[in-house]
Amino acid sequence: MEMIRGYPDYMRESIEKVEKTRPQRLKATFKAMTLEEREQILNEYHPDYKPEAKRDLKIGPSKGQRLPHEVADLLEAHPLIDPDDVDLSRVDYDCDILIIGGGGAGTVAALWAHYSGVPVDRMLMTTKLRHGDSNSMMAQGGIQAADRPEDSPPRHYLDAIGGGHFTNKPELVKALTMDAPAIIQWHEELGVMYDKDDKGVMMELSGGGTSRKRMHSARDYTGMEIMRAIRDEARNIEVPVLEFCPAVELLKDDQGRVAGAVLFNMETDQYYVVRAKAVIMATGGFGRLHIQGFATTNHYGATADGLVMAYHVGANLIDLDSVQYHPTGAAYPEQIVGLLVTEKVRGLGAQPVNKNGELFVFPLEPRDVESANFIRECYGRDNGIITPTGMKGVWLDSPMIDDLKGEGTIRKNLAAMVRMFERFGIDMTKDPILVFPTLHYQNGGVEINDKAETSVPGLFAGGEVEGGVHGKNRLMGNSLLDYNVFGRRAGINAAEYVKKVTPGKLSLDHARKYEEALKNAGVETDRKAPMLLPDYRGNHVLSRALDIF
Amino acid sequence: MKIPYYPGCTLKTTAKPFEDTTKAVSEVLGIELLEMPRWNCCGTVYSLASDDLMHQLAPIRNLIRVQDMGYDRVTTLCSMCYNTLEQANQLVKGDPEKLEKMNSFMDQEKDYTGGVTVVHYLTLLKEMGFDSLPVKNPLKGLTVVPYYGCLLLRPEEISIDNPERPTIMAELLAALGATVVDHPYKLECCGSYHTVDYKEVVCEKTYHILSSARKRGAEAVVLSCPLCEFNLDFRQKDLEQELAPMPILYFSQLLAVSLGLFDALGFDQHYVDPEPLLKEKGLLR
Amino acid sequence: MTEDIKTRMIKVYIMGREYEVPEGLTIMKAMEYAGYRFIRGAGCRAGFCGACGTIFRKKDEYKFRTALACQTPAEDGMYLTELPFVPANKAEYELEELTSEPSIIVSLYPEIARCVSCNTCTKACPQDLQVMDYIQASLRGDINQAAELSFDCLQCGLCAARCPADIVHYHVGQLARRVYGKYVLPRSQHLKERNDEIKAGAFDQEMEKLTAMGLEQLKKLYTERDIEK
Ligand SMILES: Cc1cc2nc3c(=O)[nH]c(=O)nc-3n(C[C@H](O)[C@H](O)[C@H](O)COP(=O)(O)OP(=O)(O)OC[C@H]3O[C@@H](n4cnc5c(N)ncnc54)[C@H](O)[C@@H]3O)c2cc1C
Ligand code: FES
Repeated sequence: MEMIRGYPDYMRESIEKVEKTRPQRLKATFKAMTLEEREQILNEYHPDYKPEAKRDLKIGPSKGQRLPHEVADLLEAHPLIDPDDVDLSRVDYDCDILIIGGGGAGTVAALWAHYSGVPVDRMLMTTKLRHGDSNSMMAQGGIQAADRPEDSPPRHYLDAIGGGHFTNKPELVKALTMDAPAIIQWHEELGVMYDKDDKGVMMELSGGGTSRKRMHSARDYTGMEIMRAIRDEARNIEVPVLEFCPAVELLKDDQGRVAGAVLFNMETDQYYVVRAKAVIMATGGFGRLHIQGFATTNHYGATADGLVMAYHVGANLIDLDSVQYHPTGAAYPEQIVGLLVTEKVRGLGAQPVNKNGELFVFPLEPRDVESANFIRECYGRDNGIITPTGMKGVWLDSPMIDDLKGEGTIRKNLAAMVRMFERFGIDMTKDPILVFPTLHYQNGGVEINDKAETSVPGLFAGGEVEGGVHGKNRLMGNSLLDYNVFGRRAGINAAEYVKKVTPGKLSLDHARKYEEALKNAGVETDRKAPMLLPDYRGNHVLSRALDIF
Repeated sequence: MKIPYYPGCTLKTTAKPFEDTTKAVSEVLGIELLEMPRWNCCGTVYSLASDDLMHQLAPIRNLIRVQDMGYDRVTTLCSMCYNTLEQANQLVKGDPEKLEKMNSFMDQEKDYTGGVTVVHYLTLLKEMGFDSLPVKNPLKGLTVVPYYGCLLLRPEEISIDNPERPTIMAELLAALGATVVDHPYKLECCGSYHTVDYKEVVCEKTYHILSSARKRGAEAVVLSCPLCEFNLDFRQKDLEQELAPMPILYFSQLLAVSLGLFDALGFDQHYVDPEPLLKEKGLLR
Repeated sequence: MTEDIKTRMIKVYIMGREYEVPEGLTIMKAMEYAGYRFIRGAGCRAGFCGACGTIFRKKDEYKFRTALACQTPAEDGMYLTELPFVPANKAEYELEELTSEPSIIVSLYPEIARCVSCNTCTKACPQDLQVMDYIQASLRGDINQAAELSFDCLQCGLCAARCPADIVHYHVGQLARRVYGKYVLPRSQHLKERNDEIKAGAFDQEMEKLTAMGLEQLKKLYTERDIEK
């Protein structure tokens, strides 16, 4: 197989067709789908609409909810720790607020709890990897906020709720869209380098499903730029952080309130008992569950731990039946399969085209609709391009961007993307790139209200772990916003809540009851949860592994 | 004339008036300063240790950048930068082995060929001829002393003038119409970086230099080095002895005044404000 | 069109020990294939977090190389290890109390004055940033350039681990960017105005109506809304 500028020769033939149709496509548009058309293609081609991929949950407060098998498997699993192994009489950390998860939501919660009067030495943040190693660091495209005169929060509301197929909780969407401009202004105060013109006017782009240009970005490292700034701020005020110490189980007190957690130091295998007046769950999403075998854009620690822990203490779950596949995951080369190609590539004008160089879909449909169109093109119409490892994908005609927006636009605005492909010999300013939907976002989660409270007293949640904000489908740029809005609300409301609370006697009885419920429901399994980290060791190793150390 | 211009760190901060006035003057004189798009600190203070090539990387890397621009000369204002750049330049020009070693260390850059010359801006002016300066506002009635310090003249190999009896600044100032007086401390060291840890050393030097200038009738001292400027100007506030305030000026500031360029003089960045003196002489607009 | 490719196996030396792994994996995946399960050394797995800083040498080459394990293909004969942690002191400051004056960075990180322009940091940077240039820009107070040149920094720490002058470049860049973002970039006027409107209750009524609206009407509004081109 001969390689020419990063692609095998046979793929080059298709690229030539893409190049041939480009001049006429530069002027072409494609009609957006009607609501009926959307529904039809989703039913036929979206992985989420396959009934066999899901089952009804057998236990707990959300019993009967339909969930992907991979999520149900974790909820119908034994708690990772045996309550009898843990000595709750010795408390290692005593604090007002325990924040679980050092990504965006957790960090924002810490800052706002601090602004609301909780001293930093009365907080503890614990996280599974390093502070900041999270999905929040990886967002490229942008964050929504209706701050232009031609836009408004109600309009943002309408876009978000329509994008979510009208299943979102209205009070949450209201909070999301009304808080948005204040969040961006807070970021400005913190020194986030948003893309602006020299007069300070935000340079905003459209995103899938938005009716106004509303996407604020910081080149294509938006998530990183925000995360870096808030983390730096948390370090300046000295928020105590335990790294590589995931929470493995929440603690309750004798009044049924959440009152701390058991942490596990993954490097020493030691556990710590944390007593806290309130707990903020900010553990992010579940991409690393590889639902239906999909590759994922998510970070290493996105394993739904927070869902599991919250469910053990009796929190409601919502909208977890729906999973977001991002239409443009890298499909080639093999080393980066599944990694995100930001929506901004389409936002800037790149069109999806099939193996014959034809534009086959409106480039900025909501994500689920766009994904379903890609899957139909590959598997329904056989117009996909096959990679050397047998995967299929469609072209994203990136070089168009420079034609449309001027030479150098791609390098300036999509530096991270250019770099990712360049490392493997592909120049996306000259050649299209191959994409296919990838597992991207947990649309639902632990149900909260607009104060970021869950259904269990003492337990707050913000960010991707919670649900209700986006309904059955999230629009791009609304989840960075989500973690800021509800991370902030969790911090503020938890700070208020802890003023009135004295934790009672700590207990893990809920874990014992969970075991019982499993038994009663007839679940027989050796699965344990939370998962903490996925295991990617080679089969030849796992098949000969001994558990003796 | 087009020539690459190496600014140096101080010129971008505390010595901004030095750069601003030079830029204004250059425009009038038809010198197109091509500010180097990439540059690093000159290395500040030429390293005298013969086996310490690490400290020569900074100046040589700058010369490589000049080479990359396709030029064989570069000009600079700060005496310290001039000194460090040109000394390192001389070192590698005279020692191919050292040059090769440094080139192989900096393997991500193109090799330095030794083909660049560092020209101090005063030299550039002299080449054009001081008499040809289009003086509009002669510095009549202003008595000044030039102060050279060490770095423009020592060591001899890089000296921009006769190292014992320099006249270049005096010639320039005379051409601008000022009355120039000589004084014995014009080559005296100002105390340099002792200013950080041994302020008293610098104060003593400053007092000697300035009081002697004063005795000879000088109303202002003119120089070309931001560090000398700081020591002679700002240390006046720390002097134990009595001394009437003495304005310290970059030669480029007086040049600008004499050419009628009053916009970017930057006098507010001095400790002793030169404005009253120049006003009194009727030299400011 | 698929070609059936027999995966070729290559030899890599992980912390000195030889393993056989399939060709075409990233260093990270190759180590996992060989049996390593990461606790440290893997974060985003996509080139965005800097958790996977790696040092290695290639077969028959004297060069000491650095890279991100998640973004670099493993090659035959590679000697490699991941760097679990880079100790580095961060200056603590209240951004509110800083200014954009040129001496601000060097006052918080005085060690940047020790830079001899050896450029080792630049060579070490897996993002191909001009690291030395942004340290130099910080030194001379050019906050604008320091912020711009360091913008794509993932804070993996490889620069700091390699620096003979003990500089912590990535923290320096962070400070430059925050100062630049807060004090140099112009503030957005329309953003401020929008927040004033929200505070004044300008959207409360409309929002109230929307949150109470029945599904059919909401759908109609949604479908009929105009879309900005
Ligand atoms: C590649 C990519 C691109 C994206 N682009 C965009 C975009 O352009 N715009 C947009 O709005 N959104 C985008 N998103 C989505 C958005 O980034 C996330 O939804 C959001 O950042 C989630 O924030 P979070 O704080 O809830 O979770 P995270 O940022 O993932 O943080 C969760 C943290 O909790 C830790 N954790 C997990 N389990 C435990 C445990 N048991 N104990 C302790 N800690 C634990 C995790 O390790 C992690 O550090 C993108 C997501 C990805 C993956
Ligand atoms: S794991 Fe995040 S950069 Fe490699």
